[in-house]
Amino acid sequence: MAGSLERQNKDLSSLNQDYAVKYGFHDPVDYFHKGAKGINHEVVEMISRMKKEPKWMTEKRHEALDIFYSKPTPTWGDTKILSEIDYDNIYYFMKPIEQQQNSWDDVPEYIKKTFDRLGIPEAEKSFLGGVSAQYESEVVYHSMREDLKKLGIIFLDMDSGLREHEELVHQYFGTVIPSTDNKYAALNTAVWSGGSFIYVPPGVEVKVPLQAYFRINAENMGQFERTLIIADKESRVHYIEGCTAPVYSTDSLHSAVVEVRAEESSYIRYTTIQNWSRNIYNLVTKRASVYKNATVEWVDGNLGSRLTMKYPCIQLLGEGARGEILSVAFAGVDQHQDAGAKVIHAAPRTSSRITSKSVSKDNGRASYRGLVKIHKNAEGSKVSVECDALLIGSDARSDTYPTMEIDSEKVRVEHEARVSKVAEEQLFYLTSRGLSEDEARLLIVNGFMEPFTKELPLEYAVELNRLIELEMEGSIG
Amino acid sequence: MNTKATMIQNSEYTISDISPELMRGPQWLRDLRNKAREDFNQAPLPRRGLHLWRYTDPGKFMYELNDASDTTYGDNYDVVEKIERHHVDEGTLAGLVTDLGGREIKRYGTEALAEKGVIIMPLSEAIEKQHDLVEKYLYQAISSQTGKFEAMNGALWNDGIFVYVPNGQVIEQPLHLLREAGMENSATFPRLLVVVGKNAGLTLVDEYGGGSMDEDKGISFVNGAVEIFGLAESKVRYVSLQRQTSATNSYLTHRAQIEQGASMLTIPLVFGGSLCKQNFGVRLNGAGAHSDIYGLLFGSMRQHFDNHTLHHHAHGSTSSNIDFKVVLKDRAQSAYTGLIRIENGARNCEAYQENRNLLLNPGTKAQTIPELEILNEDVSCSHGATLGSIDQESLFYLQARGIAKNEAVRMIVSGFVTTTLNRVPVDLRERIETFVAQRLEGI
Repeated sequence: MAGSLERQNKDLSSLNQDYAVKYGFHDPVDYFHKGAKGINHEVVEMISRMKKEPKWMTEKRHEALDIFYSKPTPTWGDTKILSEIDYDNIYYFMKPIEQQQNSWDDVPEYIKKTFDRLGIPEAEKSFLGGVSAQYESEVVYHSMREDLKKLGIIFLDMDSGLREHEELVHQYFGTVIPSTDNKYAALNTAVWSGGSFIYVPPGVEVKVPLQAYFRINAENMGQFERTLIIADKESRVHYIEGCTAPVYSTDSLHSAVVEVRAEESSYIRYTTIQNWSRNIYNLVTKRASVYKNATVEWVDGNLGSRLTMKYPCIQLLGEGARGEILSVAFAGVDQHQDAGAKVIHAAPRTSSRITSKSVSKDNGRASYRGLVKIHKNAEGSKVSVECDALLIGSDARSDTYPTMEIDSEKVRVEHEARVSKVAEEQLFYLTSRGLSEDEARLLIVNGFMEPFTKELPLEYAVELNRLIELEMEGSIG
Repeated sequence: MNTKATMIQNSEYTISDISPELMRGPQWLRDLRNKAREDFNQAPLPRRGLHLWRYTDPGKFMYELNDASDTTYGDNYDVVEKIERHHVDEGTLAGLVTDLGGREIKRYGTEALAEKGVIIMPLSEAIEKQHDLVEKYLYQAISSQTGKFEAMNGALWNDGIFVYVPNGQVIEQPLHLLREAGMENSATFPRLLVVVGKNAGLTLVDEYGGGSMDEDKGISFVNGAVEIFGLAESKVRYVSLQRQTSATNSYLTHRAQIEQGASMLTIPLVFGGSLCKQNFGVRLNGAGAHSDIYGLLFGSMRQHFDNHTLHHHAHGSTSSNIDFKVVLKDRAQSAYTGLIRIENGARNCEAYQENRNLLLNPGTKAQTIPELEILNEDVSCSHGATLGSIDQESLFYLQARGIAKNEAVRMIVSGFVTTTLNRVPVDLRERIETFVAQRLEGI
C-alpha cells in the first residue's frame, strides 16, 4: 500500500487534476441537432416533435413546463447555490447522432473513444447483462445479452421504450413522481430525453446487473434523463448507473427523474455512483413504490457535482414491503452534498432501514436530510436510521436534518447519528504499527465507507476505493 | 394592565400603538418597545411548513388586542399559592414570587435573600432601582429580531420578574416563580430576566399556570420570554413547569447565555395548555461552559405540543447534553425539533442529544427532528431518537408475573420518566409525580 501511495503521489497531486485526465476531457462534436439555449414551450414542442412522440406525451410535457414556471425555487437546502442556476443559459436538448447503435463498432469514433476511456465496453464484457450509454440528451449505444431478451426482459432507453411499449409507458409514466411533485421533476417531465426503461416479467430473475452510463460532454448542457423500472411479481433485477462530465468553467444542470415500481414479492436494487465534475448541479428525484412483500434497495453514492440535492424515496404500499437506502456522500473542496433518504410506511408490517455515511473534507459540506413517515394504518412497522459523518479538516461542515412523523402507535422507530473526526486513538494505533499518517487516515476512511463499498460489484468497489484514495491524498494536517 | 385581548385570530393583525401605561420608564426602554412593535408589524407571519412551523399554525398565536376588562384568575391558583407559601415557611424554598399576568407581582420570604445581596423584584421596579443592570441585559438574549412572536412580547409585556444573584453568592434552596395566566379571553405576556453572577449559583422553578378552562367562553393566550445570563463559573438550574389549563394557547421562548466555566441545567416539564409551543435555547459562550437539558412531556386528551431545543456552541471546549422524553396518550400530539449547532471557531466541543417518544395508544401522533449543524472537525457529536409503543415483551414479562396490564403499563411509564424526575428539585418532585400519576389513571 505504501508503494501505491507513493506512486500516486508522484503521478497526481490532487483529485481535480486526475478528474480532468480521467473524465474531464471533452470532445469537439458536430451535433446532429443542437437547439438554442433556454427553455420555453417551443423548445418543448421541438423535442417532442423530433422524437415523434404521441400526443399525450407532448401534452404532458407542456403541462409540466407550466408547472415548472409556477413552482418557486425551493426555500430549503442550499438556496444560495440553487439561486445561481441560470435556466436561460442551458441547452435543454442536444442530439449527438442521428440513430442509436447497438453494435459497438457502429458508434462514432469520438463517442466510442469517450466511453472506451471510461471503461464501459470493458465492464460490459466482464459482468453486465446489458448496457445503455447516454451522451448528452440521447442514448447512443445500447445492447443487451440475447439470453436476457429471450426471458422477456425489456431493457431499452426511455425514448425507444415509449415507441415500442407505449401502453406500458402510458400506464406508469409519472405515476410514482407526478410533474407536480417539485420544480425539478416538472422541468424533467417537460424536457426529458433518454434514461432507461426496464420491465422484468413475472418470476424472472435478472442474474447479472443492467447498467446505464450517463455522460455530459458539451458546456452548459442540461441532462434530463427519465428512468422507469417495473419489476413484475416475484421478479428480481439489479440496475446500476454511473455518470461523469467534463470540467468546464461554467456550470451544467443534471436533473433526472427515476420512477421505480416493485410489484408483489419482487426485488429491485438500484445502484448509483454519481461522479459528476464539480461544475454540475445535480438535482434528482428518485422514488420507488413497493407493493406487498416486495423489496427495493437504493444504493446511492455521491462523490461529484457542485451541489447535489437528492433524497431517494421508498413508499411502502403493501403489507410486508421492505425498503433499504444506503447512501454515501463525499464532499470535497467547494462541494455541497445535500443527500438523504425518505421512507413512507403506508401499509402494515412494513420495514425499512436507512444507512447514511458522509465524509466532509476541506471546506466541503455534507448534509443528511431525511424523512420517515408512518401512516396510521402502518401498524407493526419498523424503521431504523443510522447517520455517520466524518469530518476531515478544520473548515469541513456536516449537517443532519432528519424528520420523523409517526401517526401510528404500534411501531418501532430508531434514529441515530454521529459526527466526529478521525479518532486520535485510531491514528495512533495505526501509525505505531508503521503506517504513515496519510495511509492510516486513508485506511480509516475506507473502513468507514466499507458498509457501502461491500454492496457494490467488485469493479465498482475497486474504482470507489481508488477515488477515495485520491481524495484523501495530502489530507494530513 | 388595560391592554387586553379579544380572541379574534387575525393573521393580518398589527399593533397600532402601545398603550401609554406600557410606555413608561427610560427612553431606551420606550425606544426598544417601539422597535419591537415595528419589528412585529413588519415581520411576516412565519410560513407554515417551514422549519419550526411545520406542525403548528402560527395564526393560532395571533390575537387582536384592544382594551377590555381586567384579567381574572382561577380558584385553583389560591391552592397552589398556599402550597408554595407553605414550602417557603418550611424552608424548602428560598422564596416565592407570584406574578398575576404582569399586573401584580408579590414576593414571599425573600428578605433573607435580600440580605445576601440577591435582588428579586418586578422588572418595572428594577428598571428604576437597578437601571444599569437591566439596561445591560434586557432584550439581549431575546430581541425583537429573534422572531415575530418574540417581538410581540417585546412590545407588549406589562411587567415581569427580575432576579439578580451577586458574584460568589450561592442560593441553596430553589426560588419559585408562580406565573398565572388570565382566564377566558385574556392575553398575558410574562417576561423574566435572570442574571447570575460569577461563581454564583441559583435554582429557579418557573411555573406557568392558569388560563381558560372553556374553549367556548374563549381561550387564554400567553406569550412569554425568559432571558437568563450565567456569568463565568456560575451554576444555574432552571425548571420550567407548564401546567396551564385546557383552553390556553401558549408560546414561550427561553434563551440562556452562559460564560466560561459556567453550567446550566434546564428542565422543561410540559403538561399543560391546549396548544403549547416552546423554544429552549442555550448559547455556550466561554470555554468549559456546559449545558444540560432534561425535558419531560406528558400529553393527553387533544393537547398539541411543539417544542424546540437549541444548543449553540459559540465557543470552543464547551459541552452539552439533551434528553427530551415524550409520553402521549389519548389523541395528544407532540413535535420536537432539537438543533445542535457548533460554529467553525468552536473547536473541541462535545454535544449529545436524545429524544424518546412513548406512544400509549392509537390516535397519538409524534414528530421528531433532531438536527445537527457542525462547522468544524474537532467535535464529538451524536443524537438519537426513538418512537414507539410500550415494549410488548416487557409488558408480557410483567403480566406473566401476575401484574395487571394497566398496572404494568403504569410501571413501565414510571420507569421511563424516572431518570428525568430524579433531576427535579425535591420540593417540586412530588407535584410532578402527581401530574404523571393523574395522566396514567384510566390506562
